[in-house]
Amino acid sequence: MKSRTTGSWTPVALSADLPVGTVIPARTPTGPIALWRSQSGGVSAFADRCPHRGMRLSHGFVRGEALSCIYHGWSYAQAGNCVRIPAHPGLTPPEAIRVATRQVEEGDGIIWIAADQSATRPPRLDGLAPLRSLTACAGIAAIEAAAGTDASPGGIVGFANNSQTIRMLVASLEDEQALIHVLVEGDASPPERIAASRAAEALRRMAEHIQRKGIA
Amino acid sequence: MMIPNAMVDEWYPVGLFSQLDVSGRKTALMGEPVEVGRDAEGTVRVTSADGRMLPVCVRYGHIWTSLGEPRKPLFAIPEADQLGRRLVDVGVVRVRCSPLRAVENFLDIAHFPFVHTDILGAEPHTEVQNYKVDIREDEDEVWATQVKFYQPQAAKSASGGVTTEYMYRVPAPTCSILYKTCPPRPGEWDVITLFVQPLAEDLCDVWPWMALFDDETSMTDLIHFQQTIFVQDRSILENQIPRLLPLDPGMEIPTRADLTSVAYRRWLKRHGYTYGAQLVAQ
Repeated sequence: MKSRTTGSWTPVALSADLPVGTVIPARTPTGPIALWRSQSGGVSAFADRCPHRGMRLSHGFVRGEALSCIYHGWSYAQAGNCVRIPAHPGLTPPEAIRVATRQVEEGDGIIWIAADQSATRPPRLDGLAPLRSLTACAGIAAIEAAAGTDASPGGIVGFANNSQTIRMLVASLEDEQALIHVLVEGDASPPERIAASRAAEALRRMAEHIQRKGIA
Repeated sequence: MMIPNAMVDEWYPVGLFSQLDVSGRKTALMGEPVEVGRDAEGTVRVTSADGRMLPVCVRYGHIWTSLGEPRKPLFAIPEADQLGRRLVDVGVVRVRCSPLRAVENFLDIAHFPFVHTDILGAEPHTEVQNYKVDIREDEDEVWATQVKFYQPQAAKSASGGVTTEYMYRVPAPTCSILYKTCPPRPGEWDVITLFVQPLAEDLCDVWPWMALFDDETSMTDLIHFQQTIFVQDRSILENQIPRLLPLDPGMEIPTRADLTSVAYRRWLKRHGYTYGAQLVAQ
């Protein structure tokens, strides 16, 4: 599924929210994923379900270059293949045991997931840096209506707030929800960052109001 | 509502007998509201929303009933009547999961080091040795025997790590009985049960109950120990996808350690015990 705003790439999380050796849940238009960063820094995106007993892998733990399920400790390498079944330490797991993986790219402080095997690269942010992420119970159209402007081809909605231009990278989720990543200039001052964060929250409230009233 | 399922004629727990007072208890069974109470003579009554008097049985600390017509009495636990055992009403843990997934998790030992870390298991002692599983045709029960596992603290009465031996029994689709090495009394088995009340296909009340040889530990500590374990299990059970238990192969991949689960699923399917289950056809 292609997003109207960012092509086949979905910005799912900020690099800063995924430290080395951790796993977090993330949402995409095609279902939940477990996003994890190995000890050496590599980011991987797995379908959020262990093929053994269906447990969410985003509840698991990272050791070295593998993600382990919290239920029985089955471990998966970055390619998605199972490398260890603790109940049977002497067993080499069969090739058939693997988790579905998603193509992932990291750039400008954003982690992107491709809807399919994409040959293109995710869009660049041109000197902007991500500040924080928010989820809105509103679709892209409602966010655009609240901002009074359409999203750019790169998926950015910009609007004026006092003398500052606030920019938000938006991606649609299922159930008329959207993920918003607030962007600021790389050299923005702390007061400007705080103002951008508050302006984005205000815009989210307005977009959710528009969504509820069905105006957009 | 008709439940198109063989499970309707089974017995299910609907509350602790010790906690039934004059005000009664409103609860639910397989999507139907039921009310548990006592009549003027003190006899326990369970009634459905349409005023039907349901079958009642009081056993193993709990009140049992059925929406259908049970074809046999509630399963026997001979150890429950053995002198010297402490009978422990653990209480209830509500879990947003299929009642069948709750039972399957109870039959699983491979998760001990990861979910009940430093209590029922600990790395690097993760190996599950071969054990025996069979469906006993005469009793129509699933049994797993010769199950052994290294445990840092197998029971409230245990001090230090031991290799514990287990036997598991599934006498009814949402009930399981665990027999476990009894540290203070070698030669006897501690009995720990899991009685699951199906509220809906994806929601259940879990009523653990125990019959132990332990004269030392306070009742509070015994209950607290089991509740700790079941709350840890809940963090798993509420995050499995799909919520319903897949009975057909293909959706999930078992390994040798899962032989009890494989037999349980096969037994459920054979009997048409599919309330809380997912079939390929669905």
